[in-house]
Amino acid sequence: MFRFLQWKSMARRERFEAGMREEFAFHHEARIEHLIRQGATRQEAARRARLEFGAPEAYREECREAHRLHLLDELVRNLRYGFRNIKKNPGFAATAIVSLALGIGMNTVVFSVFESLLLRPLPIEKPKQVVFVETRTGTTLSFPSYRDFRDNNSTFSGLAGFRISPVDLQIAKNPQRVWGCLATGNYFDMLGLKPALGRFFHPQDDLRAGASPYAVLSYRTWQARFASNPAIAGQTVRINGLPYTVLGVAPANFHSTELLLWPDLWIPMTMEPQIETGNPWLDNRHTWNTSVIGRLKPGVTATQATADLDRIANDLARRFPDSDRGLRMKLSKPGLWGSLLRGPVTRFVEGLLLLAGMALLTTCVNLAGLLLARASDRQREMAIRSSVGAGAGRIIRQVLTESSLISLMGGFAGFAVAAAVCRFLSGWRAPVDFPVEFDVTPDWRVFLFAGMVSVLTGILFSLGPAVQMSRVDLNSVLKGGTVFRPRWGVGFRDFLVAAEIALCFVLVFGSLLSIQGLRNALSMPLGFNPEDVTTLAFDVGPPSYNEAQGRAFQEAILKKVEALPGVISAAYANSLPLSIDQSTTGVQSDGQAIARGREAKSANYYQISPGLLETLRISLLNGRDFSEHDSAHAPQIAIVNQTFAEKIMHTDNPVGKTFRFGLAGGPRIVVAGLVADGKYVSLTERPTPVVFWPIEQQYNSTTTLVVRSHLPSSEIVNDVRRLIASMDSRLPVYGAGSLDDMLGFALFPMHAAAVALSAFGLLALALAITGINGLVSYAMSRRTKEIGIRISVGASSFEIGRFLLTKLAVFVLIGLAVGLLLALAAGQALHSVVYGASPKDPALFCSVLSFLLAAAALACWRPTARALRVDPVRALRYE
Amino acid sequence: MNRKQEQAELLQGTLDLLVLKAVSLGKLHGYGILLRIEQISGRALSIEQGALYPALYRLERQGLLDTEWGVSENNRRAKYYTLTRAGQRRLQKEQRSWNRLVGAISAALAVEPGEA
Repeated sequence: MFRFLQWKSMARRERFEAGMREEFAFHHEARIEHLIRQGATRQEAARRARLEFGAPEAYREECREAHRLHLLDELVRNLRYGFRNIKKNPGFAATAIVSLALGIGMNTVVFSVFESLLLRPLPIEKPKQVVFVETRTGTTLSFPSYRDFRDNNSTFSGLAGFRISPVDLQIAKNPQRVWGCLATGNYFDMLGLKPALGRFFHPQDDLRAGASPYAVLSYRTWQARFASNPAIAGQTVRINGLPYTVLGVAPANFHSTELLLWPDLWIPMTMEPQIETGNPWLDNRHTWNTSVIGRLKPGVTATQATADLDRIANDLARRFPDSDRGLRMKLSKPGLWGSLLRGPVTRFVEGLLLLAGMALLTTCVNLAGLLLARASDRQREMAIRSSVGAGAGRIIRQVLTESSLISLMGGFAGFAVAAAVCRFLSGWRAPVDFPVEFDVTPDWRVFLFAGMVSVLTGILFSLGPAVQMSRVDLNSVLKGGTVFRPRWGVGFRDFLVAAEIALCFVLVFGSLLSIQGLRNALSMPLGFNPEDVTTLAFDVGPPSYNEAQGRAFQEAILKKVEALPGVISAAYANSLPLSIDQSTTGVQSDGQAIARGREAKSANYYQISPGLLETLRISLLNGRDFSEHDSAHAPQIAIVNQTFAEKIMHTDNPVGKTFRFGLAGGPRIVVAGLVADGKYVSLTERPTPVVFWPIEQQYNSTTTLVVRSHLPSSEIVNDVRRLIASMDSRLPVYGAGSLDDMLGFALFPMHAAAVALSAFGLLALALAITGINGLVSYAMSRRTKEIGIRISVGASSFEIGRFLLTKLAVFVLIGLAVGLLLALAAGQALHSVVYGASPKDPALFCSVLSFLLAAAALACWRPTARALRVDPVRALRYE
Repeated sequence: MNRKQEQAELLQGTLDLLVLKAVSLGKLHGYGILLRIEQISGRALSIEQGALYPALYRLERQGLLDTEWGVSENNRRAKYYTLTRAGQRRLQKEQRSWNRLVGAISAALAVEPGEA
């Protein structure tokens, strides 16, 4: 296509030029003949004709311009010329393309994350009307209160509830643990979805408890687990051992209203008691398990809807003070667990976008510097072009074409880089037992973004130099003198140096800050030691097992695992600290006026077997661990952590003392032991009160087996799997792996930040060094003559060095000062993601400062040394 | 806009008008147009002769002139210009406004002291 255009335009141009030449020649001849007829000699006539006509090349250029043939034509010529220049100067082109590819690539990656998390509308009908309904203090509601909100509001056309829950899906006698989403009957209708196959369930399918054994499959589950069976609707599958009828398949582009949540199938909410066996909560106002989304009626504002919900909440608080006191409602955009994740995610991604933008800006500043330096090599070329009649616009267009060519190549490479990174990110699975996924497949918006960024970048980095190049002073250049008319006492390039330093300061500062934060987080006491620990979970719930059978099974497995060679110790817990599954319970101090409702105190709890504390190396400060004697018939006891003792029991020696379990005057519990504080939900949390219950007294069919051994995790997992299969070949095992890997989830935000920021920091540093180097080389080359004169009148190297570097140093310092201020601001923004890193740490500032000074010195050293070696005689003759 | 630019634009507008007028009297090549203008204006053009060509190319581009290659009076290949219909309309319009302008200015200049 390009070749053809080129050929066509060339042919047309040839024709045009030939015609113009002939026409001018005809004019010239006709004029000469005319003058001869008037009596002039041929020689005289030719001279006069030339004189009267003026400069033919200038008029030809004007004709070309007037004829506007030049636009396409000139573009092709400029492109050809640009390609030739790139070939002639591959070093510059390679530097430019690689740094642009990195800069644009990074921006594109960050933008696609931004786009997929915060911009992309959900694939549902009228997504703007759909909101996530949460309380001021949490993201979920109790199911009875959900019903009250649904039935009594006047501002929503629908309110739907859902809850993620693990289920066993049995396909061809092969049990698989998958993730189900319990959803109210109106869920799909409210979202306005069309099934890919069969039908969805509707409100009439969700009326009575346990009466709607229906399932809707996710598109991916249908593809992966049912081989896209077109006759799947109406077939029966077994879920948790019971038969369910598959009604249909959800559309391919829908996975959940939550962006990170990818359930495998949907089940009507009334099936909850069958799905979460042993824990029916649909009528329990104390269990807050239901996530709620709603569709606003047309024309209703969020404020009106909130007021409406608050009215109902007030009523609930009055009627059910135990559970609903102080209930206040809030609406937010669906997708990131209400406002729980949206705030931090938005801040983080916006911060990244800012940093990526700054990195790209640094690249631009850099390339502008390089281009400017190159401009000095091209002064004569530009002067000649201008002397044969190329106007300023023409020269600017040519330089812009050349740099657009480079920036488009860079953009293309950048998009390729970004697409690869995005594919990697989308394929990444959080090492957690939860259907979390992250879809950042770049779409057209991202492509458009990359394209626009490339073009803008090209213009941005070359417009300044291009304009300067077009201002050549013809006479002096062709005579070998200075090129550009100096316009300010302080040059454009001096500002470039300062800008470069400032941007680089922020980027390096940000990356060091986040690396420091990550180091802090990794070295922080977790309260337990995940090293050498392997975990593996299974669920011996009904209908296969009743409580007695389940207990027997758990005990038998534990005995066998403990007997495995290489196993140091093993124990059970219902869930582990820093895993995604955390539970809280209400507690009261003993002998205090009873606090009620949401004002009551809550503590995270774990149900553990004897030996768990030792297996996880949780240090027991006082009292004793549980033993097998703490059975269901023995007095109820618990182990608490320091924060629990302090905050709830108001003592630092709780052993032997009591507290009350539950909300309104529950049973007294005796504290048997005190353990050290740790981290339970996130690494950045405040000290959290925690209580451990003996598993003997609080049975849970879902348990995680925790094994400490020096053997590799994979071996332990295989051994335990074999043991379990030997006792029940159909029992699914999940969440198997090393505890270190599982903790990846808690560390992920920090890892992501550190990796991203380190990449930015390194890139910035490299950019700054090359950029400053380029600018300084250029500055030095402009002053060769001056240096020669100074050397010849006897200035010492030191004096010349001082004279060369003083102004530069001033601008480096200005850059550092501005960078410092920007970094202080950026540090505040990063504070929320980077744990334990103090953005005002003087040591950090000092190290960034010395880093950059070293970089600047490195960048200045070579060109300055070269300038000092200048031979005065040659320097003076050269110009 | 500085004075030089203003002059240039005025000149360009006038030159365009003169070219259109010259071509309206019959098919002409570039040099012929030059002679015709000198003839109808009764004096030599004060601009360089080459400056005629950008004007011709511009008018052709605007669709006011048509071109074709033909043979000149001394048997050489030459490019001939004719007025298109759009060119005729433009010429009439320009002529009218020119006449109005000239009329207005002469009327203004004809005012004697005391008449106002």
